[in-house]
Amino acid sequence: MIRLFLVLILAGLTTVQAFAAEDNKTEFSAPQSETGKLTIYSTTDLPAMKPLIEDFQQTTPNVSIVYIEYLTNELNALAAEACRKHQPLGDLLLSSSVDQLLKLANDGCATEHNSPETLRVAEWANWRDEVFGFTYEPAVFVYNSNKVPPAEVPRTHVELADLLRERLDYYRGRVGTYDIRLSGIGYLLAFNDARQTTTVFGRLLESMARASAVARCCTGEILEEVARGNLYIGYNMLGSYAYDAAQRHPDLRIVVPRDYTLVLSRGALIPKGAARADLGAAFLDYLLSERGQSVARTNAFYFTESGELPPGVDGPQNLKESGVAQPIRIGPALLAVQDRAQRQRFIEDWAQSMIELNSPAWMRE
Amino acid sequence: MHPEVARKQPSLFARLARRISFVLGIGAALLVTAAWYYAETAANKAYDRLLVGAALQMAESLSVEDGILTARLPTSAFELLGLADRDRIFYRVIDTHGQTLTGYDDLKTPTPLERAQDVLNVEEGFYKEEPVRIAHATRVLADPAVSGRAYVIVAQTNEARLALTRELTLRATILVFVMSLLAFAGAMLAIRYALQPVERLGTEVRSRDPHDLTPVSVDVPRELDPFVGSINHFMGRLNERVDLLQRFIADAAHQIRTPLTALTAQIDLLGAGRLDKAGRQHFDRVKERTSELSRLTNQLLSHAMVIHRADSVQLEPVSLVDVARRAYRAAIPITVDPDIVISFEAPDERPIILGDAVSLREAIVNVIDNALRHGTDQRLEVRVRASAMQGFVEVEDDGPGIPPESWARATQRFATSKSHEGSSGLGFAIAQEVAKAHGGTLSFNARGRKGFTVVLTVPLYKGEVK
Repeated sequence: MIRLFLVLILAGLTTVQAFAAEDNKTEFSAPQSETGKLTIYSTTDLPAMKPLIEDFQQTTPNVSIVYIEYLTNELNALAAEACRKHQPLGDLLLSSSVDQLLKLANDGCATEHNSPETLRVAEWANWRDEVFGFTYEPAVFVYNSNKVPPAEVPRTHVELADLLRERLDYYRGRVGTYDIRLSGIGYLLAFNDARQTTTVFGRLLESMARASAVARCCTGEILEEVARGNLYIGYNMLGSYAYDAAQRHPDLRIVVPRDYTLVLSRGALIPKGAARADLGAAFLDYLLSERGQSVARTNAFYFTESGELPPGVDGPQNLKESGVAQPIRIGPALLAVQDRAQRQRFIEDWAQSMIELNSPAWMRE
Repeated sequence: MHPEVARKQPSLFARLARRISFVLGIGAALLVTAAWYYAETAANKAYDRLLVGAALQMAESLSVEDGILTARLPTSAFELLGLADRDRIFYRVIDTHGQTLTGYDDLKTPTPLERAQDVLNVEEGFYKEEPVRIAHATRVLADPAVSGRAYVIVAQTNEARLALTRELTLRATILVFVMSLLAFAGAMLAIRYALQPVERLGTEVRSRDPHDLTPVSVDVPRELDPFVGSINHFMGRLNERVDLLQRFIADAAHQIRTPLTALTAQIDLLGAGRLDKAGRQHFDRVKERTSELSRLTNQLLSHAMVIHRADSVQLEPVSLVDVARRAYRAAIPITVDPDIVISFEAPDERPIILGDAVSLREAIVNVIDNALRHGTDQRLEVRVRASAMQGFVEVEDDGPGIPPESWARATQRFATSKSHEGSSGLGFAIAQEVAKAHGGTLSFNARGRKGFTVVLTVPLYKGEVK
């Protein structure tokens, strides 16, 4: 009963935020006379996508683009609802929660797209030619160099768990991570952490819970707090956002874990029956193209599968060659991540560990 | 039979080719259908194992925690299904009360779960308007709090199965096609080869001499024996008929000769009597006609004899000069006009030929007789010559000769020419018959400065002379 109540609360929360997020709509008018309007629903922060959108409009100047931003779970709920009602949501969905996109595709909500560009996509980042991964983003640690002495900088998951245990008082309430109840990407990363090493993740979770880790909805909030020195360490941040923040705040430093690094590929999907599926496909092709990837490397997502780490990032020289990278495969295994019983169970367990100690009474069982 | 109709009949080869390609086509179609069926079964079997495996893994993951049935679906089950890398996956976990625990609420098995069969029984079905294969697994729970049967239903779309089926069928089809092509080519070659004796037989029969009625002796396959037998039987009967006809002519000529001799004698007696001028004129004409009749009868006999001997007499080495001289003596009558210069010329060596002396003499006699009767004015020459390979008997006269355009007709029986009065009768025909029987020819040399020449050519005999 209480579980059901919790779900209802979450659902309500999602709806409220969804309406609130309607404001998060940006229009890029066509540089030349407009012949088409492309609507993109995305979970990617606008600053990251802006250079890509503007460069795309250089190649296709007759298209205006409406960019609508949501949190991952909200976008998923909207898209699933739209698919159920056969009213496609926009012309292209971009989400860092690829598990949600995969579920949508499995439910028949996606359009197949084949082009020379899609052939370039790595096999692990393409499912059914419907869901494509177009970025390569490691999940990293961030810390504030003013607050974390160099000797204490954790370089593996175990080191982080040990640090929190040893310097419990210093780091209490100073570690931030995703609230996986709100963030789809947080849940996806946590689930894959748990799959990687059950014991290490258990220890880490326990250490973070003891240290009263702060759970936030979004990467941006945590990064800002770490930059300000309010939080000292951020766990499982998306490398691209973290690097962007690090460029603006010199105190913010990035560590790519050396034991294993989850790598997420942001997913793109063209909804079934999209009004301008052709434009969606054109933008997708641009994202996958040499030009789009190059813009993404320099201005948006910074990390690449084959290249070296961007300068100033503490970690193995080359993610792929070091064997540290663990890409989250875009494939049916993500359906297990999206299973509702699984999800509920996992989030409950996580919430029990992380939140219960300092959560209001109604959250407790 | 009308030739137009005959021409429209397709060849044996075309008929066989059409029928064989028809049979091969049907066979290939059947094989491809069978290949498709087997490929589909194989593909379904292969991927059904994954489906059943995944269902079992999911069922295994069900557990009772704090008195509640919990499903922690293993990622590996989905990864297993992901081996069919393009297929969509639908699943549903049903608890002991029949409520959906997780997954797609409206996924059902075609047969109700209560009557569910063996776990390996994978069924066809539809979900979300997609054809799917549906497997299920049952988990019997005996926990005090939760007891009964829980079910896991797993469905998967058919893309990988179809792709595998297509690939297998395509390969089988290529094999079938290549085999059919080989079979067809082989059959065509075999038919060509098998029909060769028919062709040979046809050529043999077609290229036959019209007078040759001996049995056909071509090596043919057993299957053609009745056909060749029929031809030979027919030829035999024809031969008998021709023989009969010739014998009849010979008999008739022979029968006519006796009364004819008597008639000649009577006419001679009649000529001794006195006749007035008109009577004498009539008498002379009757005598002339009678002698012509007598000559014709002799020629008929001679012709029949020559033909008979050609079929029956064994050829032997003879001297061409001797034969020609004997014929020369026989042909020149004692009553010949003394003003005509007649000569016989022979080389010093004796050309030997393989032949029938009687027939040859008859032939030469006829040629000389013909020359005397129709050609010779002042001169008649009979010459025997020999080259390295052939012997020639030439009969030359100073008459008008036969113009070249009539040469072909001259050797036909009872042919007449403008330059000759009456019929040349059978003379040249007999001579040619004999020449042919000896492997030689009868030819004419155009009238030159000296005269017109008839040449009988026969090959020389190069073997031992007894």
